[in-house]
Amino acid sequence: MTHKSVLGEVREVQLAIQLIQLGARLQFLESEVGLSRERLIRLYKEIKGVSPPKGLLPFSTDWYMTWLANIHSSMFYNMYQFMKIHSDEEKVWILIKSYKLYLQQIAAQDSEPILDFTRAYTMVRFFDSDMLQLSTCCRCSGQFVAHAHDHKSGYVCVLCRPPSRAGKARGAKRGAAGEAAAGIEAMGFGVEAAPGGAGLH
Amino acid sequence: MSVANGEISREIGDINLAYMLLAQKLVKQDRVAAMFRLGVSSELADMLAGMSLAQILKLAASNFLLCSFRLDEHASMSAVVGEGKDTMLQQAHMSILMSARSLQTRKAAVPA
Ligand SMILES: [Zn+2]
Repeated sequence: MTHKSVLGEVREVQLAIQLIQLGARLQFLESEVGLSRERLIRLYKEIKGVSPPKGLLPFSTDWYMTWLANIHSSMFYNMYQFMKIHSDEEKVWILIKSYKLYLQQIAAQDSEPILDFTRAYTMVRFFDSDMLQLSTCCRCSGQFVAHAHDHKSGYVCVLCRPPSRAGKARGAKRGAAGEAAAGIEAMGFGVEAAPGGAGLH
Repeated sequence: MSVANGEISREIGDINLAYMLLAQKLVKQDRVAAMFRLGVSSELADMLAGMSLAQILKLAASNFLLCSFRLDEHASMSAVVGEGKDTMLQQAHMSILMSARSLQTRKAAVPA
């Protein structure tokens, strides 16, 4: 640690602060920030007022395929991909920037973030190791998070083909207009029944 | 008739001016985020950032709208609005489609 420049260390501390504020787990901090575990824990306590939680949640790619999680994951990954192409910053800063952009987008939509920072990070790792891919919806041409090597042709996204439960809930809430819309959706289900529910698990 | 046309031109000018000023503000605040929101290339973002108010006023005073329609395919448009979606889902869908558009804009700008 002594051979490091003071400025370099300041940068590391700033990075750690940003990551802790966004809710990064300790394991993530240790792998991304060149500070000792002890210093990271002290920083964490100072910023959050509590000790970092122990243990990394056992994430699987399946979480990203559930209805709302898939929508939020796709929103985030599209932003991340854009940032990766257009920004020449370090990868971890690109991740921070796109996650902040995601939070802004969610705030503008008046809803709650579903994808936490650690899940966002894990998802990027899944993409990097070719476990997830973006599949293009054949109806709206949007790109959505999907299992890698899934059937690529005829893919319909979760927004163009919401699960029937979501359609019914909206129909009940919205009255006649909603019911009409739900009816159109139901027709869509009948006409375009794809095997396996198009990536929904 | 001519009065009505004058009115329309003025409205277009107003929107152009508001759009250009907003675009410039966004680019100055955060260049990459602005490129994402506006769907413009980095070259265009730099140009926007560097424009003087006089240049913006001159551009805005036009009979043509300077901002183009970004949901420019019937399929995308109807996917976003046509299903009685609630606001949150509509916004989420829009965000995903616009991201793809922004990437396409970039790819198209790079000579193959
Ligand atoms: Zn779709």
